[in-house]
Amino acid sequence: MNLQPLCSVLGEQRVSTSIEDRLVYARDASRMRGECLAVVWPSSPEQVAFLVEWARQEAVDLVPRGAGTGLCGGAVPQRSVVVDLSHLNAIKSVEPEGKLVHVEAGVVLGTLNRRLEPAGLFLPVIPGSHRAAAIGGLIATDAAGLRAVRYGLMGNWVQSVTLVDGSGQVRHLSGKALGDVVGREGVTGFILEAILRLAPRPRERTVTIMAFDDEAALLAQRDRWLAEPALTALEYLNRHAAALIGWEPRHHLLAEFDSDQGEIEDPGQVRDLWRDRDGLYPQLARCGHPVIEDPQLSGPGLAELLRWLDQHAIPAFGHLGLGIVHPCFAFDDGRIETLYESVAAWGGRVSGEHGIGLKKRAWVDERHREEIRRLKQIYDPHDIINRGKLS
Amino acid sequence: MDNPPCIECGLCREVCPIFEVLRREHISPRGLAILAEEGIASPVFYQCTLCRACRTLCPVDHDPDGERLRARLVARGVETEANREMIANIRQHGNPFGPLEEGEIPKRLTCC
Ligand SMILES: Cc1cc2nc3c(=O)[nH]c(=O)nc-3n(C[C@H](O)[C@H](O)[C@H](O)COP(=O)(O)OP(=O)(O)OC[C@H]3O[C@@H](n4cnc5c(N)ncnc54)[C@H](O)[C@@H]3O)c2cc1C
Ligand code: SF4
Ligand code: SF4
Repeated sequence: MNLQPLCSVLGEQRVSTSIEDRLVYARDASRMRGECLAVVWPSSPEQVAFLVEWARQEAVDLVPRGAGTGLCGGAVPQRSVVVDLSHLNAIKSVEPEGKLVHVEAGVVLGTLNRRLEPAGLFLPVIPGSHRAAAIGGLIATDAAGLRAVRYGLMGNWVQSVTLVDGSGQVRHLSGKALGDVVGREGVTGFILEAILRLAPRPRERTVTIMAFDDEAALLAQRDRWLAEPALTALEYLNRHAAALIGWEPRHHLLAEFDSDQGEIEDPGQVRDLWRDRDGLYPQLARCGHPVIEDPQLSGPGLAELLRWLDQHAIPAFGHLGLGIVHPCFAFDDGRIETLYESVAAWGGRVSGEHGIGLKKRAWVDERHREEIRRLKQIYDPHDIINRGKLS
Repeated sequence: MDNPPCIECGLCREVCPIFEVLRREHISPRGLAILAEEGIASPVFYQCTLCRACRTLCPVDHDPDGERLRARLVARGVETEANREMIANIRQHGNPFGPLEEGEIPKRLTCC
């Protein structure tokens, strides 16, 4: 692999094969490990287009990387060059009247929302990783998160995207064509910029927490809350997860409202509660359950899943408003396979929000594989971006 | 004291002042933890300011323990030139700046 052309165009400082870089970029938050040949930090669309051309000549795989908070190995290289996009981090313009913002892909969601606060606006997609995750990664995974029950997934907020595809072509995509990029985990190209729609920031947030001894009562309350127009988040924690983080060992539901109907009204208390909620997965990982899954189910299938997790004493939490549940396991827990066999039998999806990446390829159906092959033909015929992911 | 292992979530990247400037994963708190876990003794460890902003945010309370990482480097004889000079100055002249006349303001600051 001849890196000299990259050094000339990107600069020596922006190309690395150091052992330090190759080790830390060989993994992401999924804890999966791959093999990283080199890391590059481009700072313009022209540099990314050059990289793509170079990779085609070298027949090497490029892996786009945002903040590396992904949980399915999407940013994990497999003898690839990792392209860290975090230097593309300009907030190019904010249009408060039109409720739009133009950003580069490496902008961090938390930074963006802090910047938008004075304008009374925010990007309302709030995954537990919102302090660190980057816009490009959020679009690529079509992230959901805590407020998706009200605001939907990331894709709902994307007006247009600038993409460098696998032929080095710069494409400006909007409308239906966004479906070729949103949630495609980078297999169709590098997202470099996006125009995003914004929502008015609610003036108040209040929260109610309820505890239950059985799933049936919990699901009945979920249905009641889902009918509330002021509902902005509906989160769940089963009794095994509650016990591990020092809560009363019962099933819990947390409902947030943008009205005064919640029981906890103090803004400081509400903020602390969500901060603890953001730390839930790391806490469970610390207690020996680092492998997090994200099946999504509805109706009777969801009830089956919650019961199965409880019977097997598997700690779980999730965005119950959307039916996304995060069971957490130890490495190599054989029950993960049983979980996905059961999810398929109960009519659910293997991934509600984290994506397929490397981790869940075995569970992808043939229709999905065919769809990825079709998109690859159009956007990346030489298969040089995120090779082997998703299919 | 027990130091819980980093679970590599990456949440602390944005509070690290060094990462904020360099935007390279190996200098992020997560990067330091991975290198330490892999047994790598890298001069990168000298770039951590020991501020512990990452620890305040870390949901598992992991401490990058920059002092221990540096001690590891010193034990292997890996030191920065500035550090070596500073320590030699302290030993020889009783201050980190080198020979100073009474009331003289240091012309050059050494630090790691
Ligand atoms: C503690 C914690 C909580 C989390 N909570 C949630 C949650 O509530 N909801 C949720 O949906 N997710 C959650 N996640 C998962 C993760 O944060 C999201 O998937 C997020 O969208 C990833 O963003 P990133 O910038 O870190 O992307 P990365 O991890 O860097 O990449 C993710 C994927 O996107 C691709 N990609 C990244 N940037 C680009 C780009 N510019 N162009 C093309 N492809 C790109 C990568 O190749 C990879 O396939 C959580 C993660 C953690 C660690
Ligand atoms: S130091 Fe803490 S916050 Fe940072 S990546 Fe590790 S576990 Fe996550
Ligand atoms: S202690 Fe080191 S790693 Fe942690 S935030 Fe400060 S400089 Fe970064």
